[in-house]
Amino acid sequence: MMWNSRQNNCSAYLYKKERQPDMILKIARTELLLNLMTFKFAVGTIVCVVLMAVFMPMLVNDYQQRLKDCNQNVAANDAELRSVKVYKNITPTVYRKPSVLSVFSEGLEKRLGNSAKIEPESVPQINMSVTADNPFLSIFPSLDVSLIFKIVLSLLVLLFAYDAISGEREQGTLKLIMSSGLPRYHFLLGKIVAGLITLTIPVTIAFIIGLLILEFSPMVDLTGSDWFRIGLIYFGSLVFISAMYNIGLFFSALAKESAISLMLALLFWVVSVVVIPNASMRLATQIQPLQSREKIESEIASSMNNIKTIERPKIFRQLAHSTRGMCNVHEGAFGRSYVAMLTRSEVEYRVNFYVLYNSVLIKYADKIWEIEHGYMNGLLKQKELAENVSRISPISLYGNVMSAMSGSDLAGFQDFIDGAKTYRSQVFGYIRTKTDNLSSPSYMTQCTEEEMREYEAKHKQVNNTRNEAEKKKADEAFYKWVKDTIKKQPTLGLQDLPMFSYQSSVLSGLRRVALDLGLLMFINVLFLALSFIAFVRYDVRSN
Amino acid sequence: MIRNIIGKEILENLLSLRFMLSLLLIILLFATGGFMFVGKHRQESNDYWRDTNRNLSSLREQTNHLYELVTFRQVVWRRPKPLSLCAEGFENTLPDRFSFDPFTWDLPEVRSSSNFLLPHFSDIDWVFTISLIVSFVALLLTYDSICGEKQTGTLRLMLAGSIPRHKVLLGKYLGAMLTIGIPLVSGLMISLIVVVSYRAFEFETGQLFKILAIVLLSFLYLSIFILSGIFISSQSHKPASSMVVLLLVWVGLVILIPSFGRIIAGTFNKIPARVDMEKRVAEAIKQIREDSEKFGPGAGSWNSYNDNPPAAAKLYDAQVNARNAIMDEYLRQMVDQAYTGRYFTCISPAIIYQRASETIAGVGVHRVANLCQQIKRYQESLKEYIRSRDAGDSDSLHLLFQFPSDWIAENWHAISDERVDFDSVPKFQERDLALGQSLKLAIWDIGLLALFNLVFFAAAFVSFLKYDVR
Repeated sequence: MMWNSRQNNCSAYLYKKERQPDMILKIARTELLLNLMTFKFAVGTIVCVVLMAVFMPMLVNDYQQRLKDCNQNVAANDAELRSVKVYKNITPTVYRKPSVLSVFSEGLEKRLGNSAKIEPESVPQINMSVTADNPFLSIFPSLDVSLIFKIVLSLLVLLFAYDAISGEREQGTLKLIMSSGLPRYHFLLGKIVAGLITLTIPVTIAFIIGLLILEFSPMVDLTGSDWFRIGLIYFGSLVFISAMYNIGLFFSALAKESAISLMLALLFWVVSVVVIPNASMRLATQIQPLQSREKIESEIASSMNNIKTIERPKIFRQLAHSTRGMCNVHEGAFGRSYVAMLTRSEVEYRVNFYVLYNSVLIKYADKIWEIEHGYMNGLLKQKELAENVSRISPISLYGNVMSAMSGSDLAGFQDFIDGAKTYRSQVFGYIRTKTDNLSSPSYMTQCTEEEMREYEAKHKQVNNTRNEAEKKKADEAFYKWVKDTIKKQPTLGLQDLPMFSYQSSVLSGLRRVALDLGLLMFINVLFLALSFIAFVRYDVRSN
Repeated sequence: MIRNIIGKEILENLLSLRFMLSLLLIILLFATGGFMFVGKHRQESNDYWRDTNRNLSSLREQTNHLYELVTFRQVVWRRPKPLSLCAEGFENTLPDRFSFDPFTWDLPEVRSSSNFLLPHFSDIDWVFTISLIVSFVALLLTYDSICGEKQTGTLRLMLAGSIPRHKVLLGKYLGAMLTIGIPLVSGLMISLIVVVSYRAFEFETGQLFKILAIVLLSFLYLSIFILSGIFISSQSHKPASSMVVLLLVWVGLVILIPSFGRIIAGTFNKIPARVDMEKRVAEAIKQIREDSEKFGPGAGSWNSYNDNPPAAAKLYDAQVNARNAIMDEYLRQMVDQAYTGRYFTCISPAIIYQRASETIAGVGVHRVANLCQQIKRYQESLKEYIRSRDAGDSDSLHLLFQFPSDWIAENWHAISDERVDFDSVPKFQERDLALGQSLKLAIWDIGLLALFNLVFFAAAFVSFLKYDVR
């Protein structure tokens, strides 16, 4: 008897074990079928698909335009580089290629400057875009895929979740299911699995449509790392909808009537979509006020002025004893002047001048960078505070994940600026090695020893001419010779100039999203636990 | 009887959880908005007066010689407006710095005092709270007004009496309007009390009327949502499905459509980039300078003993006109582009409401464009003033044109070098539109909002008459 009862227990246990996942699956399947046939599923899917199909081409078009502009700028810069005649004039501009994934999340893509000038007198720094488009358009919020997902998807998810429990109670089916002895968490798990599978469908369809449009657009070139990022964006979207679903489930298990759970869920949604992102920025600007921009600008202006009023005269005083000759200064590549022709006696003075002046420029560039950097830190702190406050809202978390993975967040720009800074020192190193630490005359002129002698001789000849008419003629001939000689001077070619490149690795992107993704997962777990607790205590009886 | 229904509706709403939650949220937003506005307005007013006084004192320094007024570039700033408490009109990101001399002006710029790393965000002004949050609450209050009663069976009960359906509908509508009026009016009052108690500024009578107009406009706007709530509610049989439809409509109208503005404006009304416009200006000026002889011999010569100043004046006038024509055109294109976005997104009542309240409050794109026009008129009056002062000086050649430098004016005696009285020099002052004028500008938008109301009322009426109450 004892054995028998034991065996019975045992088989009941085994039976139960076998049935548990089976039951969850069964619930999930029923739920899934029910969900798929609802009006809201149809509407939600159609809205996602239509929005994607209509706006993706516009966003891609916008990207292509920016890419075209960038390519034009790069080509113009390369052409200018090829016309450089002296090392002093190597002051190229480097451009950040627009990120193709910015169609997913615009982030700071259009607001920050996409170029950096490589020159002694300034250190690259994150700056506001100067080519910003029509300022009057700022009355419209920016639109990208993440906005559509953030708003439409999150709402869709809540619409699916709000009546998962309270709706069943209202219909009386919850009492029925619970009467079969099914553990409550099975029911909950079944609901979650079904809800997530249902919601994955519109997300996946929208993603596939978006990616098809993106992949088959001209000029768009998706690399392996882009695909990896897209994969992560997709994964992040799934984590996000699952978090929203758990939140909706919690509200559903909190209220007895589905209308009330819907209302709670919606109020939560409005607060997270509209109130928190706006209020967090307002709050940050109040708590962490910025330094006055005017003060910074006047400090920078006074530094610049110091170069003119203090440093340059100082250099002139230092060089006062050098012997001077003659020179002919021309405008060269990148709109910078260079010494096209000079006499032998001028060389030493010029070389010394440029060595001293260059070091002054670099010193002041660092100083100005420090000032700017102090201001930037203020901006960064404000932004960080705003971001941290807005992290209460899962929708902001998701937005952060999207922009970090799209490379359109601040860190993406920082990578570019860091790259530009490294490139700046590379270019300076290149110039130093080529010009023997700036001491070679080739730093500032292409004039050969022979030309110098000829220049001096010809000039003397003109000066020695007494007759006015003859002098005028000689003068003309001299200038013609100078012009021709300058024209004949070769360009540097610069085949071995280091190329600009910067790393924006997927790994650093991953590190950036780790916190936000982690928080989204935490919200998942937290609200799952909360809805479990709420559901365990739920009164399943319908009125 | 209608009164009974209204009373019942209000009581029922007041006791509900959704009302309490919405009331809290709305009052919180209005109060926060009020406090933030006080701080911001104070700061902006200080900045504005500091900059304006700086401009005036530099103008005063230019009164030693009349010709200095011609070469002096004034910088005027957009004045912060008290009514931006109601509608801020995205002025944070709109141009606020205007620099000009009597002949030319630069494209207005945005003072870069805000943090460019943060996404654009709107102030929590009345329009923001009402168009996004209160409109949502309006839906929350009405989504079950018909189908909810049907579900509980009370609708059948009510209609079993002899009340005509249209009275029920009117009662429900007015009840909901009055209910939404409670958080709205208390929020507005709190916001006004905050502002007044901090003595941020004194309201003038005209402004009070404008505020009243905006409040009425808000009710007109909210009424659309209440009517559409009743309409959808009388189209469906379950409150939940009515809510789903209403939500989708709300998200579409209030959040999605307004964000399409930029991309639509960019797609349907492309304008040349700013650098291209600048290139065109440079090109035009170069062209004129190349043909300088057309204006008379020696027109292009800028030395002090130019023997043909009238020709030089003509040349410079031609340059200024060419530049101004291109710049005017470009400014018009920029403003038009923004308007295009607004026109296309006008299917959303939120945009219409935003635009109408901006017009009444005298803020936003229209105001900035109008400010540019006012500056142009001021340039004319300044020129007129210089001309009239110059007429009295017999030594002067009476050649008023944009001198490249004071030095030219002085050496050529192009215009008088007498001292002018600073007080008599016209000063720029932005003029606000009177209530009547702004209402006239907003009349189309108000008409559109009324049309929306009418359509939804008719729809709600018809569908409720045909509603199966069982």
